[in-house]
Amino acid sequence: MRYLDKDIKEIHELLVSKKICPLDLVNEALELIEKNKDLNCFITVDKENAIEMANRLGEMEVDKDNLLFGIPIAIKDNIVTKGLRTTCASRMLDNFIPIYDACVVEKIKELNMIIIGKTNMDEFAMGSTSRTSYYKAPLNPWNKKMISGGSSGGSAVAVGARLVPLALGSDTGGSIRQPASYCGIVGMKPTYGRVSRFGLVAFASSLDQIGPMTKNVYENALLLNAIVGRDERDLTSSDKEKEDFTRLIGEDISGMRVAIPTYFISDIVEKEIKDKFNELKETLKKKNVIIDLVDIKYLENAVTLYQIIAMGEASSNLARFDGIRYGYSTPNPTDIDQLYLKTRREGFGNEVKRRIMVGSYLLSGENAQLYYNKALKIRDDMKKELMKVFEKYDLIIGPTTTTTAYSLDSDLDNPLKSYMDDVLVIPVNMAGLPAISIPIGFSNSKMPIGMHIIGKPFSEATIYKFASFIEKELNLDLNPERGDKDE
Amino acid sequence: MADRLTREEVEHVAKLARVEISDDEMEKYQVELKQILDEVMKINDVVLYDDEYMIAPWSVDSELRKDEVGDMLDAKDVLENVPRHSGNYIEVPVVLGE
Repeated sequence: MRYLDKDIKEIHELLVSKKICPLDLVNEALELIEKNKDLNCFITVDKENAIEMANRLGEMEVDKDNLLFGIPIAIKDNIVTKGLRTTCASRMLDNFIPIYDACVVEKIKELNMIIIGKTNMDEFAMGSTSRTSYYKAPLNPWNKKMISGGSSGGSAVAVGARLVPLALGSDTGGSIRQPASYCGIVGMKPTYGRVSRFGLVAFASSLDQIGPMTKNVYENALLLNAIVGRDERDLTSSDKEKEDFTRLIGEDISGMRVAIPTYFISDIVEKEIKDKFNELKETLKKKNVIIDLVDIKYLENAVTLYQIIAMGEASSNLARFDGIRYGYSTPNPTDIDQLYLKTRREGFGNEVKRRIMVGSYLLSGENAQLYYNKALKIRDDMKKELMKVFEKYDLIIGPTTTTTAYSLDSDLDNPLKSYMDDVLVIPVNMAGLPAISIPIGFSNSKMPIGMHIIGKPFSEATIYKFASFIEKELNLDLNPERGDKDE
Repeated sequence: MADRLTREEVEHVAKLARVEISDDEMEKYQVELKQILDEVMKINDVVLYDDEYMIAPWSVDSELRKDEVGDMLDAKDVLENVPRHSGNYIEVPVVLGE
């Protein structure tokens, strides 16, 4: 009997009526993870503690108001977990055991969810294929010859393959939404500040945000409920009052006003993705959703902006890896310079080195004025352009990606390809907006296609409302083990 | 325009980033970094709407933390992750030469 493929509400009822206990769920997850080891979606599986926690919960009364009680969850390996190895998929942190929990991990433990393990990713979240991982790249559950997307590739695969019902990812320039789109799951990047970044290993601090990755829209909102809130340890976290993100799900969407940026459906997007998106547009029109094409300036500058801002911030954030306080340290350095230079050469992979070199260069001397400051100004302009659209429209929509997941064998050395994968998702991070990717169908080669729904700041509940309508309307079978799979 | 950075330019950025680059990696980075920087230079062509800039998406009206002693990490736990230490001291190699 498989339980983890069921909706969380159903699993919860089975737990409440004592037909199953948390240990059944943990055992099933561990079994599935073992059986699907070739997917490489976990870096560390915490078997011992998961079983111990399940046993402990088994002795407790199930909390009837907590749908997440006893549910197994996977955590991206750049979110620190006390006593549980956290590597950021880097040789630099291969041996790193955190001594505290991230804010989101504390919240997950408080709700009695069970952490099954830590998921694979691009090294320090730098990449869009998860192939820059120090460990083996995760495989797409819909076709194992294809990439998972990234950087939260392991989380997307673990949920997509139905090994766990829920996972956490992080999104700096599309790293939740793009792999979610490639693996046929739902991934939300919340508004900047919604979720505390305390304990998220920093990549680009003004762009990073943790978010939920799930099988469906409702469970995504449920997991977001669990992780939001002001945290004194992250002064950029928002003090907005708690709200129930599931509250608008199922409500009528007719009359809503939606904008499609012309750039999002331009020639950069593959035809079959555009076709699928256009089909959906017709469905929405029939539902009396008002849809207009709009021109939004600066969207085409997203990749350039990302390169300057994300790499600049990354070069500063990654300066902490010095071989002195934790992580990898080169053996027998002769002096302090040798310690830094060799530790970082041996500990970081190629993509990370490229980015911190470019970032350091762009922030050095007069370059800071020439490039970084100009980028901050364009970033401000881009946000203003987007906010202008939101004066007239409730949401902005488009495809999440320009292509579907592509071959694992494609060239990894092209330093620009990975940024272009994220061309449609980066503007959201620049402006700090909330956005979700949901599956809307499959390509001819049966690879999932995702749709991107972007909202005003702090409008996650509205995004979930709109997304849940589409999900219900399409009613796709998103389990790769069944019918739609291409063998 | 050249299709690669000079060795000196790569050595300069590597030094800024505190990364050592071996001779066999040099050529690769000369080409790859140039490709990225060419992309970055496109920023010069962007016409600005106004002169305001943005460092982070939202500024939260946050107060400074009270100047009080809070929870502290235990030195013993911290040292578990330290590559080289001697008692409660973290060891580093020579900082100043002879």
